Amino acid sequence: MRLLIALTLAGGVYAAFAPSAQAQEEPRFSGAAAEGEALFDVGCVTCHGRSAGGVQGRGPSLVGVGAASVEFQVGTGRMPLARQEAQAMRKPPQYSDEEVRQLAAYIQEIGGGPVVPDGIGDQLGEADLTRGGELFRINCSQCHAFGGGGGALSSGKYAPSLYPASDRTIYAAMLSGPQNMPVFGDSQLTPEQKVDLIAYIQQVVQDDRDPGGFNLGRYGPSTEGLAIFLVGIVVLVFASLWIAGKS
Amino acid sequence: MTARTERQGRPPADLDDPGLTRFEVVRAGARRDDIEIVHYEPQVAAGSKAEQRLARTVAVLFLVAAVAATAFLVVYVWWPWRYRLVGDIEEFYTPLLGVTLGVALLALGFGVLVWGKKLLPKEVSIQDRHDEPSPTDDRRIAAQTMLYLADELGVRRRPLLGVSLLAGLLPVGAVAAAPLVGGLIKDPHDDQELFRTGFAPADDNGAITRIRLVREDGRPVRPLEILPGGQVTVFPGIPHGVSNAHADSVTLLIRLRAEDALVARENNREAGKQDWMWGDFIAYSKICTHAGCPASLYEQQTNRLLCPCHQSQFLITDNARPIFGPASRPLPQLPIEVDDEGFFVATSDYQEPIGPDFWERP
Repeated sequence: MRLLIALTLAGGVYAAFAPSAQAQEEPRFSGAAAEGEALFDVGCVTCHGRSAGGVQGRGPSLVGVGAASVEFQVGTGRMPLARQEAQAMRKPPQYSDEEVRQLAAYIQEIGGGPVVPDGIGDQLGEADLTRGGELFRINCSQCHAFGGGGGALSSGKYAPSLYPASDRTIYAAMLSGPQNMPVFGDSQLTPEQKVDLIAYIQQVVQDDRDPGGFNLGRYGPSTEGLAIFLVGIVVLVFASLWIAGKS
Repeated sequence: MTARTERQGRPPADLDDPGLTRFEVVRAGARRDDIEIVHYEPQVAAGSKAEQRLARTVAVLFLVAAVAATAFLVVYVWWPWRYRLVGDIEEFYTPLLGVTLGVALLALGFGVLVWGKKLLPKEVSIQDRHDEPSPTDDRRIAAQTMLYLADELGVRRRPLLGVSLLAGLLPVGAVAAAPLVGGLIKDPHDDQELFRTGFAPADDNGAITRIRLVREDGRPVRPLEILPGGQVTVFPGIPHGVSNAHADSVTLLIRLRAEDALVARENNREAGKQDWMWGDFIAYSKICTHAGCPASLYEQQTNRLLCPCHQSQFLITDNARPIFGPASRPLPQLPIEVDDEGFFVATSDYQEPIGPDFWERP
């Protein structure tokens, strides 16, 4: 009996620790990450290389960019790229939310990196909008403009409009610093400050609250001046003609 | 003038004639100014139904203007206007002001228009153009009158009068101008305000304190708080440092990627700015050297700082050299290090004036 137990134990220990030929063939990842790897090897490997190591001249290494980066780039349709150009554009996403999650899990397991926390939406109700507005003006408005409409950068690059961005997208962008956007890590803008910022963007900027009436695209005095010139002056000219014609 | 009226073949009306109607007196007066009323026709008979109706219309329009203007005042004073996120009637504050004022002005305008166009008689008057100069006599009289006035005042015979008058008046004029112009005159060298910022180390009887770099809420910055490719806007950590009193001190603290930081450090060294960076961190003035806009559009991949006003671009890794746009000078760099407590401080003040050119710095 003892012998049997000893044998079983020894066999079990051996089975557990000995490297077997089969174990090499098994996927290195489990669950969502494995699914993500399968997706990656079909859709992303051309530019980002095997195991996301990057390909010179085509795409950067994705080791260490984190799930936040995947969520931003793939979730908003910026990746996969339509073509190599100054900047990836927002497009209808090519992958479903589930697939984005799997890809994110894969990239996260390769090299770690920032992750967008869950439950941002629940905290937005408690957010401090005044503080959010202050942070927006000092950190975001220089590129994304006061009205959130975005603006031009150098050599064809641009800061995108904030109107279509969801809370998770904004959070992911701050964490990962996509393309030419600076990184705003959690020690620079704390998670609470990020939530304040997102609340400000969603409830004030995106909500299109324009107490003055028509916003005319929120481009500021240029469009307003043009509108007054084209519409207002024309109306005035015809009004004067009408009055003069009556006499 | 009388001569010209006579030339047109109309004798001047005898204003002493008691039989003249008021209209005839007016017409005679107009003729003296070479204006001839050639057509005069009332649009509505005095006291007729039509006149009453028009008068009522005008009155109603003026009344509407009065009501709308009063409504404007009422809204302006009493309507709730403070911005709230979930707005209620506050949202109508601005539109109401616009609508009431618009209606008031429009009604007033239409009232005047109806009065002038419908109620007043139709009248066509013609005034001759005066092509040739005035008659020689008239011109001679005018010239002699002026010379006569000068002679009467005696300034020709007694020049002292005129000179003393001028001497008295000039200082009085200067007194009037002094409060207006005086406020604009200031010697910037008194406190060297164009040449120093809030980052100048405080000298408290020989004890030199280096100024910390603080955020907009006054918190000092630690190196670990910023990730590579991150930036933070910092202000001098002095009283009122984060206010318009030190609006010239706004600085961008940037953490470059390790490989870019090496390039930046090397270029710094070549420009004689040894050890102005700390680690991968580099700090530049946020104020564009072209027109003073905040040049804070940081492109973390191309390491450029952009100015949104006139599209100047500065290369961060090469001493913020301008590489595009109208700016001609690099952004001034702030030498930084980390103090014993682990917070960023400015080693010294900016070594050159920040912001756009001025007279001593073309």
